[in-house]
Amino acid sequence: MSATGFTGIVVVVLFFGLMIFFSIIESEPKEKKNRPIPAYDKIIQEVNEAVEDGTQLHISLGRGGITGPESASALAGLSILKQVIEKSSVSDYPPVASTGNAVISILAQDTIKGTFQAGSAYDQGRNPSGELVGLTPFSYAAGTLTTIRDNNVSANIHTGWFGSEVTWLTTAGERQSSPTIAGTAQLPAQAIIYASASDPLIGEELYAGGAYLGAGKIHLASISAQDVFRWIIIFIILTSVLFNFLGIDTFIEDILAGSM
Amino acid sequence: MNIKLKAPISTAIAIGVGIVVLAGYFIPSITNIRFILLRTGLVLAAVALLVGIINLLTVHIKKMGSEGENSGYSLILIITLLVTLAVGIIDMLQTYLAGQPNFQMTNWVFTYIQLPIETSMLAVTAVSLTYAAANILRKRMDLFSITFFFVILLVLLGSFSVPPANIPFLHVVHDWIIRVPALGGARGLLLGIALGTITTGIRILMGTDRPYGG
Repeated sequence: MSATGFTGIVVVVLFFGLMIFFSIIESEPKEKKNRPIPAYDKIIQEVNEAVEDGTQLHISLGRGGITGPESASALAGLSILKQVIEKSSVSDYPPVASTGNAVISILAQDTIKGTFQAGSAYDQGRNPSGELVGLTPFSYAAGTLTTIRDNNVSANIHTGWFGSEVTWLTTAGERQSSPTIAGTAQLPAQAIIYASASDPLIGEELYAGGAYLGAGKIHLASISAQDVFRWIIIFIILTSVLFNFLGIDTFIEDILAGSM
Repeated sequence: MNIKLKAPISTAIAIGVGIVVLAGYFIPSITNIRFILLRTGLVLAAVALLVGIINLLTVHIKKMGSEGENSGYSLILIITLLVTLAVGIIDMLQTYLAGQPNFQMTNWVFTYIQLPIETSMLAVTAVSLTYAAANILRKRMDLFSITFFFVILLVLLGSFSVPPANIPFLHVVHDWIIRVPALGGARGLLLGIALGTITTGIRILMGTDRPYGG
């Protein structure tokens, strides 16, 4: 096994262990205080308002599939979709979902159906869609615009894998005067989202949806595990800087190269 | 008694396949199994594409019937979808009859219809981005937004190479921003995304996140 493979296994096993550990030792989820992320507070507020006003939320899940590096952001988007549907299950107008990838479209429909059935509120007639609106970046954007411009859509949540076409979606939401909550894993699109969305999700905030929308203890435990790893990375970076400054980094590299 | 077997079975398959694919990245001896599973996944994704297109067609047929303000767009979508499909089938038949690849009509559709439309949309994106950047201070007047705005301005000014906008000092500032704070910030964001990706993957492997109706 290569050194990279061994490090990978250690990271995954350590992450797994930390998540189990924190899910056992941490008390009731409601007592845990995470740093506030305004975008998730806004989602909860918009869900409540949509239920009261009889309007719909629109959730677009981007163009990411499940076989590439974009899969995690697409799955994070599905997790947020599930939480939003659970919270709005009493609404007359359930959320509408749109995607730019066929596999995610099927998973979105399955998530919607499964969540409604779990809440005993499944009704084929009022089942929200998980429609595939376009396969290329701009056909997806163009297809999603019609949903954003729907008068009954009160807020838009864009969570998944987006490129620069996300600016079409965020500015369309702004023109409709509807709040736009957006997050993606692509760096150029993150800059666009920061400039154009009313409530942006930056960096790893996209993956924290479950923890902030009440998906359960394991989601909160995963946030704590991430924090531990963040501190480990900070320690490694600072130690590397110090070793480099003292000129002993090459000495350690030689030792590691000899042992592996 | 109604025993629901679908959820446990689908969860077990997802977790099992996930663990084998993940292990295949680290253990060379099971790399072949990983490739077989990934190839199977790609075939299933292609079938999903077909299902997705049928879903797209069904949704727009329903929208056409509802007489909404966007029903005209749905009609155009259905016509273009069917025409493109017909063009593809004709090209495939010609390829089959001639015995050599012949996708002239399909290429023509992509080169002279889809490419110009998407390129013009990309051009409008540039305008849309400029509007968004100019609008940020109206939207959120905080320290981060002000910094964001002025950094954009500095980088843009430093990118000019035509006199009199060609100012050497701004080139130096531009290069420093790209090399130091922008690169550092991007790496920080990528580290956070990597951590988020790992936790999302582990939650799927544990079966606590089940985006497949389980």
